[in-house]
Amino acid sequence: MKKKLLSTVMILGTLALAACDSITTEDQANNGSSNSNQETVEIDLLGAAADEKDLNILRDQLTRNGFEVNVNQQPDYASYRAQRDAGNFDVSIASWTTVTGNPDYAVRSIFSSDGDSRVIEPNTEIDELIDQAAAQTEGEYTETYNQLENELVTENAYIAGLYNSLKAQAFDKNLINPDSVNLYKSRAFAWDPVSFNDEAMNDSETLVLTQMESDLTSLDPVKGNDSSINQLNTNMYVRLVNLTEDDQVTSDASLSYNHAIAEGNSDYYFILRDDINFASVEDGQAVDTGERVGADDVVYSLDRASDPESVPDQRTYSLHEYINEVTVVDDLSELETAELADGNTTVKEALESGLDTPINSLVTDKTQADNATGNYQVVKLTTTEPFPQVLNYLAHQSAGIVSEQQVESVNTYDIDNYNVDTDIAYGDQRAVTEGDTYDNHLFASGPYIMISKNDYEATFQKNPAYMTDTENAANIENITVRFIGDMDSSLSALRSGEVHLLYGLSETQYEIVEGEENLELQTGDSNAVSYLIVNTMNEDRKTAGSVDLRKAIVHSINQEDFIQSYDGQKKKAFSPVSPLVDTENELEADADLVQDHLSKYLEQAE
Amino acid sequence: MKSYKDTLVYKQVEFSLGLSLLYTVILGFAAMDFSTFAVQPFILLLAGLNGFATIVQALLTVKIRKDSKKSLVINRISQIIAGLLILTLAIGNLFLVLSSLYLIKKKVSPGYVYAVYMVLTDLLVIGVSALNLFKAYVTNSFIPAMIVLLVILVFHVIVLIGYDKLMALSPGSKKLFLLLFTLTVLIGNLFVLLVSASMVQDANKAITKRKGIREKILRNQASMLGLLFIVFLVAISICSVWTFNYRFAVTNDYSAILQPPNLAYPFGTDNFGRDVFSRIIFGARISLAVGVLATFIPFIFGGILGAISGYYGRHTDNLIMRFLDILYAIPGILLAITIVAAFGASTTNLIIALSVGYIPSYARTMRANVIQVTNLEYVEASRAIGNRNFNIIRQHVIPNSMAPMIVRATLTIGSAIIATSSLSYLGLGVENYIPEWGNILRTGSSYLETKPYLAIYPGLAIIALVLSFNFLGDGIRDATDPRLS
Repeated sequence: MKKKLLSTVMILGTLALAACDSITTEDQANNGSSNSNQETVEIDLLGAAADEKDLNILRDQLTRNGFEVNVNQQPDYASYRAQRDAGNFDVSIASWTTVTGNPDYAVRSIFSSDGDSRVIEPNTEIDELIDQAAAQTEGEYTETYNQLENELVTENAYIAGLYNSLKAQAFDKNLINPDSVNLYKSRAFAWDPVSFNDEAMNDSETLVLTQMESDLTSLDPVKGNDSSINQLNTNMYVRLVNLTEDDQVTSDASLSYNHAIAEGNSDYYFILRDDINFASVEDGQAVDTGERVGADDVVYSLDRASDPESVPDQRTYSLHEYINEVTVVDDLSELETAELADGNTTVKEALESGLDTPINSLVTDKTQADNATGNYQVVKLTTTEPFPQVLNYLAHQSAGIVSEQQVESVNTYDIDNYNVDTDIAYGDQRAVTEGDTYDNHLFASGPYIMISKNDYEATFQKNPAYMTDTENAANIENITVRFIGDMDSSLSALRSGEVHLLYGLSETQYEIVEGEENLELQTGDSNAVSYLIVNTMNEDRKTAGSVDLRKAIVHSINQEDFIQSYDGQKKKAFSPVSPLVDTENELEADADLVQDHLSKYLEQAE
Repeated sequence: MKSYKDTLVYKQVEFSLGLSLLYTVILGFAAMDFSTFAVQPFILLLAGLNGFATIVQALLTVKIRKDSKKSLVINRISQIIAGLLILTLAIGNLFLVLSSLYLIKKKVSPGYVYAVYMVLTDLLVIGVSALNLFKAYVTNSFIPAMIVLLVILVFHVIVLIGYDKLMALSPGSKKLFLLLFTLTVLIGNLFVLLVSASMVQDANKAITKRKGIREKILRNQASMLGLLFIVFLVAISICSVWTFNYRFAVTNDYSAILQPPNLAYPFGTDNFGRDVFSRIIFGARISLAVGVLATFIPFIFGGILGAISGYYGRHTDNLIMRFLDILYAIPGILLAITIVAAFGASTTNLIIALSVGYIPSYARTMRANVIQVTNLEYVEASRAIGNRNFNIIRQHVIPNSMAPMIVRATLTIGSAIIATSSLSYLGLGVENYIPEWGNILRTGSSYLETKPYLAIYPGLAIIALVLSFNFLGDGIRDATDPRLS
């Protein structure tokens, strides 16, 4: 018995040993090579909970290149921002969306020495390049931005691009006419072209949209620039110009018929429409106030947009700091003498192109304007320096036109003693929130006006006096915006038919939407870029002192990994400017270069 | 009259039949792809074989029941059928193996039963570790570790087969054998301890006729199954250090993102190309450690506070209990979230956060027991002969109040594990690249519709572990309850 047992064990043992030969171990698979011979460098990686995926990919890539990474993942954006502003990081994930669609905005506020959210150490060379590019036109500035990117990433390794996201929206195609839904690269979603498949429903059915934030910063265009009001204000206030789906400046569906840039790139002319009146709310219904949106409202709105002191908590003046003066043109000869940059066309001709009636006279009183008889209003804007990109800023929601008379009658508080708890300023959400404080004082110049809101939804009605009888008039009578806190619930609401259109889906949701028969998914390019800040703001950080260490970090990044991990739904980005200017720069991951720079850094450190 | 051991065998045979049927049905479902009505032939074959074995087992059950009317001794034919059913090991049906091993033994002693479970655990650990062979490469220590495991398995099988002969060894060589045998517990197979304890105590059986928890708990098959799973997890947590490659669990592999389950990745890969199977195996370590520690710490602190408060009574009692009542009033998970949010997310903070919330309930349990025990005659007697309070508490009060505490502890380990996973799920527990079951579940939850297996497997792991502890807790409670013996 024992002998049998022994022999069985022997046989089994030999079999097992024989089997061992065919097994590959890790050392054999990697040919015994490893990077562990070098001293590791400890770095702190900062991000918010929403960046979890990116943090993990970065941690992995940096670890592979010989760094020891401490991940500091903050639970929400506010605490992440507090850590970032305090400089408690070596490397931090950041994101930037150029809402105006022009490259100057993308670089000025984050890279220039006096930028309002600067992320790098002050650098005069970079400042000069930013200013140089600002004065150039689209054809010229590509090379300048190319140099700027090289300064930022290749030379100094201040930042590194991670990826450029796509923008996506999904809607119920059985209900909504797919041809009427646009996906804009920069501009917030415009409601006015949207129409139901069955046009008879436009008057009777409510279109239900959604957004995450229920707490609205302010419905005054100059008092907010965030996602809680971006879409709402865009649709409540008309602007001098708009952006097309691919970020070209256009006068279509805006307050102006045409616009013209006079020679020198400092004077800008806009010829205004006469078929838009402000709407207000009476007894829960949108009504025509009879007050026309005119040149004096434009002057008033742009003046207050560029003046930091115009209202307490003015949040958008940095976008409009290039505006020097806005005036109403009363002298027709000015238009006849001013010429465009090409030297052959006068401003007058440019403004008149495509108009039914040529300009007969210019009026300063908006009530006198009558386009059918040739009486027009023209607004002239001058910039402090030649700056063609100013038009992009005018297309931003913060340049929305408000009623001078209405805003002044609401904002009667003393600016110096403004108390946010007791004084209700124009656009304060308390004025439109159901309950005791409800007293809707909004005057909307855009296609829609907010009737009321509560914690769950905001209701809107079409402006009855907005370009009526033109193709630009809004199609759908009633719109409701549901406030749904997270994207997964929003998607469920869309699938159950509770919401008709969903804006800003994440990559993991594409597959679900594509699997639903009645939903249509639209994806397009966006200006949203995720990038990496290497800390040069806080001098105590080791990254601030060593360009070698920074370069080692930057060259550890492999953008392919990000793209694969997001199922191909991201694009490469070299810097925040990448989606706007094609500089053809690309960030290459290079492990050997990383080791070179790391050993140089370690030598210096000793 | 039926003897207890025979009843145990009958119960086990029926219990195994049920589980085997369940196993067959699950395999049957796994073989079918309901969206396309395609069938996976290999799994279907496995299900078919299991179905056949289950029918044999069912017939065997009927036969044994019929036979038992004449004699309680399992007859030769039944034993041969049972012996053949051991072959179901090859098709993964451990339940039939379990009952067959009971049947082929003439005299089933508790030690033998534990030895059966011990061998099953070894088999599970080796089987699960062997799945690594399908990967591109294995960790460097894989081969030596597997050889050690196989040698230990052979040793354990010898112990199982020769259990009675080993019991009859001379005291000297038996001691040496026990020492060697007990050392094999180092692979984490806790059944080894139970077997050697049985070997020592069963030999002295003549002296004490009373049955301890160790023997009574055998009657509860569900709790034994729970114990098997827990011991398996402990063993695999320890063995995985040498048999599993941690790289597969934490290092991103962008070329293998979101792979469906296959042999190389038995539970598929997640959105970073990490092997979910390896992650779950490594996650067991954290879940078990946090679960056990978050139970042990309040067990000690709550126990001490409760004992003091119950023994001294009056003002001491009032002071301690009112303070604990305040703690009690704060919802446990909320307290944990607050602590983690304040001090940052790390494993240590997580354990502390969970422990604090559990202290009051342990203190209350202990206090109630101590008050009861303090009023018993033997405590009064001890006091009368002038024993000091500390000695009375240590020698008489605490040992006699422990049973309900142990039951409570086994039951709360389950909720501690759930709490760990919930906090990780909320992003407040362990750092999220570290494989922890809640973390894995969280990653899977965003693919619930498109890749459900990413969430199902970690979810099942959590359910199985929590259920196991609950079953075990139930078993221990029944075993310690005098009314049920």
